[in-house]
Amino acid sequence: MDFAQSDIQTMLLDSAQRLLAATAGVEYWRAQRHQPLGFDEARWAQFAELGWLALPVPEAAGGLGGSLEDVALLNVALGEALATEPYVSTAVLADHLLKQAADRAQGRYLLGEIATGALRVALAHQEVAHQEADGGTLARRDGTGFVLQGAKLLALDAPAAGLLIVSAPIAGEAGLALFLVPADAVGLALEAYPLIDGTRAADLRLEGVALPASALLVGPEHGEAVLAEAIDRASVALMAQAVGAMEAAVQICGRYATERRQFGVAIGSFQAIQHMLADMFVAAHQARSMLYHALAHAEDEAGARGAAIAAARIVVGEAGQLVSRQGIQLHGGYGLTDEYAISHYFRRLMCLEKLYGDLACHVERFGAAVLG
Amino acid sequence: MELRPDPALEAFRQEIRAFIRQVLPADMAERQRRKVANNAAVPDLLEWMRILHSHGRSVPHWPVEFGGCGWSPMQLFLFNEELYAADAPEFDWGGTHMLGPVLYTYGSPYLRERFLPMIREGATMWAQGFSEPGSGSDLASLRTSAELVGDTYVVNGQKIWTSGAAHADWGFFLVRTDRSAKPQRGISFLIIRMDTPGITVRQIPQINGEAHLCEVFLDNVQVPADQLIGEPGMGWTYAKFLLEHERTTSSFIYWSKRELARARQIARTEQAGGRRLADDPAIRARFARLEADLIALEWSVLRVLAHEPLAVPEAAAASVLKIRGSALQQEVTMLQADLLGTRALRFFDPAPAPPPAPTPDWPDYVPGRTTVALITRASTIYGGSMQVQKNILAKLAFGL
Repeated sequence: MDFAQSDIQTMLLDSAQRLLAATAGVEYWRAQRHQPLGFDEARWAQFAELGWLALPVPEAAGGLGGSLEDVALLNVALGEALATEPYVSTAVLADHLLKQAADRAQGRYLLGEIATGALRVALAHQEVAHQEADGGTLARRDGTGFVLQGAKLLALDAPAAGLLIVSAPIAGEAGLALFLVPADAVGLALEAYPLIDGTRAADLRLEGVALPASALLVGPEHGEAVLAEAIDRASVALMAQAVGAMEAAVQICGRYATERRQFGVAIGSFQAIQHMLADMFVAAHQARSMLYHALAHAEDEAGARGAAIAAARIVVGEAGQLVSRQGIQLHGGYGLTDEYAISHYFRRLMCLEKLYGDLACHVERFGAAVLG
Repeated sequence: MELRPDPALEAFRQEIRAFIRQVLPADMAERQRRKVANNAAVPDLLEWMRILHSHGRSVPHWPVEFGGCGWSPMQLFLFNEELYAADAPEFDWGGTHMLGPVLYTYGSPYLRERFLPMIREGATMWAQGFSEPGSGSDLASLRTSAELVGDTYVVNGQKIWTSGAAHADWGFFLVRTDRSAKPQRGISFLIIRMDTPGITVRQIPQINGEAHLCEVFLDNVQVPADQLIGEPGMGWTYAKFLLEHERTTSSFIYWSKRELARARQIARTEQAGGRRLADDPAIRARFARLEADLIALEWSVLRVLAHEPLAVPEAAAASVLKIRGSALQQEVTMLQADLLGTRALRFFDPAPAPPPAPTPDWPDYVPGRTTVALITRASTIYGGSMQVQKNILAKLAFGL
């Protein structure tokens, strides 16, 4: 067991420190909200230059072949800085799905495009309804190709993606398939909107979207398992962002408690405030412990991996709630303003808690793992 | 960063597991598993120390020259985990984990040679005389005095919450040897025989029907001056060393893991409304949260053991272990009691041992659950209350 960073990890975090510290902050976040995609494309290009987008991409596809630990540490830094770039969608989730591509050459090509920053990819999986009659997405075989019909809800980072990975069963066949759908495909319509943290998502309408045979990324026999694994890995990265966000929020609150004065003294001199901060520190510390637990089991077989990640998401999710809620309370009225960082951390942590399975979902999942 | 377990450690774990299976008497493990009270467990505790000592493993965490095994922190962690999982009796923590390290670090050669073997061999039970009626969280205000008269200290005062004092052969006490110095500076660390004339022990009837905690009254107790450890006036420093030395013990991680496993077994066995308690969504949710919290605590322990580089003092990370560990002990034991429903309310007198023979309506896991849950309300009080721990953490992590 070794928790010290490797030299490569230290370099990675140094570069993150330099780029993100120069740009993070309330003014920057408020400005990004008005960008068409919710983030600065010039900074995304710098992500590519620094090798962050190539980090998880295999060396054979022109990447750096970094480990999930490397990716997680980078995401801690992204979380601290409340980066709104679609890093996890593209470089973690899509990265993993493309590595499983039935057509290896195509997968490698697309991964190479991700590594250079030329391509962003988003997953469109969630649906309100699962019946075709209610708008559930379904693929039909059509000659050698496919036709997609249906709708998707809240596809995270889809507005900025050039390529979408759409999940759908194939009519008459068991399982779930994954399809590559270009963002400009005929019959595809996106309704884009911001989330409360300034990131972007979209609802999708798919009206007879015709796709060639090569659009089948993963066949229906493996789609479900591959998707579960990719989402678990995305969960790890998002938890890393939550840990970074929590640690930053705790520090901000600690500083605020020494600066803010009431009754003639710093509020940090009150034991009630000290105990709130102690609780926040404990929660953030336990959250990081759980990130390590998730990382230690991320390559296990599906059952053990899923259990570890569900357990981690419970602790990280609840820690995020405690830190962000106490964080606002500690700031008083200022905590509710857009002009103080803590409200931005609150909104981000709320998103991170609910994306790819909320607390109730993970509690049920882990309860089943524990008690059978 | 390497987060996956070292395969060599798994081999070590298997070796330890086999060792325990070989040397731990089955009836002793059974008594420990069904333990309702601490007083009745004293003979097994000492016998188990003697067994471990005969294999050179009674104080594995000590330096090799004093009888330790030279194991890494991770090996010690696994050793303890396996001991608890196998229902081995407890250590005499006062001797093996508190006094022992103070003695080999600060004690004179005379004191080391005299007392370390007694602890190592399981020859003595030790009492810890720190708290006083007026000095709980504010320990430095303690008033029990020791006055040097010739080559003898004359001790007067009163201690409280001294676990097992009625069964202890010896005690280690914090006493005030200098009233003129600042509170922390005037304290010394003194070893006292519990049968010395002038000592009166009163057992305190507890919430769970037992009387393991004691008051110790010291009335002109004469103690040879060479039983003072290290330097006079340095007792506070040694006591702090003692509390910080075992940085991960306060997590009670092995204990809580074993008790959670027991809760799981109860949930899988007990039925309500035609289904196992384990199939009740509310119970499942409670387990999910508790199991996850305990895994987080375990990783927090591993981080301390591996000296993870941190932006805050390492003591802040250790303080997290105490804060979470003490709360989780209570959550696990209360979960056990809750799983038993109204049967948790039956009083099982801890005085007679063993507990009554199990029947189908009263399986062997019922006696002891509530007894332990009741006394475990102490976990957030002793060793620095939860509130004091949070004060300390606010200071360490935020400079407040």
